[in-house]
Amino acid sequence: MLWYKAWLETRWRFVFMVGSILLIWLTPLWLPFFGFRLPQGIPASKIWMGIHLGSVMLYIVAANFLAGSGVNSQTTYAATSGFHGSMFFTLSLPVSRRRLLFVRAGLGALLTSALVAILAGYTLFQKPGGANIFEALEYIVRSIACTTAVYGFSVLMACVLDEMWQFYAAGFFWMAFFLVQSRASFVAWISPLRGMSLFSYPSAAPFPWAPIVASLAFAGVCLCASVLVLQRKEY
Amino acid sequence: MNDLIIAADGLSKSYDGKPALRSLHLEVPRGSICGFLGRNGAGKTTTLKLLLGMLRRDAGSIRLFGEPVHSEASSIAARRRLGFVSEDKDLYPFMTVDQTIRFTRPFFPTWRMDLEEKYLDLFQLPRKKAVPKLSKGMRTQLMLLLAMARGAELLIMDEPTSGLDPAMTEDVLQILADLAASDGTTVFFSSHQLAEVEQICDRVCIIDQGQAVIDGELDDLKSDYRRILLVFDGVPPKELAGLPGIDHLRQRGRTASLLAHGDVDTLVERARELGPASLEVRSVTLKELFLDHVRGE
Repeated sequence: MLWYKAWLETRWRFVFMVGSILLIWLTPLWLPFFGFRLPQGIPASKIWMGIHLGSVMLYIVAANFLAGSGVNSQTTYAATSGFHGSMFFTLSLPVSRRRLLFVRAGLGALLTSALVAILAGYTLFQKPGGANIFEALEYIVRSIACTTAVYGFSVLMACVLDEMWQFYAAGFFWMAFFLVQSRASFVAWISPLRGMSLFSYPSAAPFPWAPIVASLAFAGVCLCASVLVLQRKEY
Repeated sequence: MNDLIIAADGLSKSYDGKPALRSLHLEVPRGSICGFLGRNGAGKTTTLKLLLGMLRRDAGSIRLFGEPVHSEASSIAARRRLGFVSEDKDLYPFMTVDQTIRFTRPFFPTWRMDLEEKYLDLFQLPRKKAVPKLSKGMRTQLMLLLAMARGAELLIMDEPTSGLDPAMTEDVLQILADLAASDGTTVFFSSHQLAEVEQICDRVCIIDQGQAVIDGELDDLKSDYRRILLVFDGVPPKELAGLPGIDHLRQRGRTASLLAHGDVDTLVERARELGPASLEVRSVTLKELFLDHVRGE
């Protein structure tokens, strides 16, 4: 039943993300209604680059938006302060905090992966020249794997902070990380942002094993840290 | 020890070095209704959270249902046998009444469908209504339903009647009294309402500054404690404060009020020797006991 609760808790966030993605994808359709016209004559490769970078941004937003710790219940896009009262109901149930975390984080990870897969599929669909099935699978796998780093960090933040601060902290962290990777070549080499970005994408480029392994390891560390935080935390 | 549903000994807890509980000793026998009284910040909620495993104790021991609670696993085993009603009665805002019941049911193997139906009918709870649309009274009823239908042996409640109107308060108190009488459920609840504690409790624990200052059967406390009112012709003599067996002494002008327990007859005899103009011995109310102990006068 914890999965059921996690789904009820998360479903509107998921719907909100799907709606946002659709709104962005359908921009060429609704923009003219507001008197705007998309610029003409832009090379297809540049348009695709824009779609790709937009998708990467949405991976990060989805990973942040769908992460949760399972203890302090989250309301639909409500920026709240303090703990929700229902947290005491959750903590009085005969369930370990680790299980609460795993179920909530697990469902969020599934939903995030689904969104990333859809986004990645759409991105490849728009690619000039198309992509074969292996290229598509490879692209989806690396996108999901690298997004786990962002998701893992957001889960950790959800254990430590209230949801509004969770978003700010994750956003600040990844912006800072992006700045660091632009100056440190080793960080760039293992960076999940590079692993999911255009700069490592061209199919001729080697498969980005380093960012994928680093992302999965980082997500694992974040999850372990989340368990420790949650088990030690007092409410 | 097995007849004690709750047994805490030497329980201590500090927040940032500031003690909230100081070596608290607490015993709640099976089948009793125990009122847990104290001023705001006395340590009531901290005690309840420690019992439920939401906080970690600094020192001391807790036994629930006769079993030590020293780990998350033992706390989970204990939580399977108890129900908790929090002060704000908050449940998941994204669920309906029906979803909340269906969510809670599988966690408790002893869940009783007959009780679920009985309390749904009794409380007239609308199954399809979303939790945020329920009044506080209805949320209290839903939490009581969730606690009782699981077949809980112990109900821990943090101010169960706060925010309820007098009629609803009366209903809740009646249900608690019925539960203890018919099913042998133990009820341990914190409250600021001395009248309701006096109405249904057979046992009270008064806590002040993190320590239990009174703990016992309500009837025993009422028969043990006496108020002795003395009026002197002048200022009460200083020897009054030195009399043995006085719990609290309050002086105002020519009058002195003593709260005493134990061998009150001897104390009365000693007080007479001080030559008061009048001396009166009265029984005490719970309110008097509470105020004398938590004010520390």
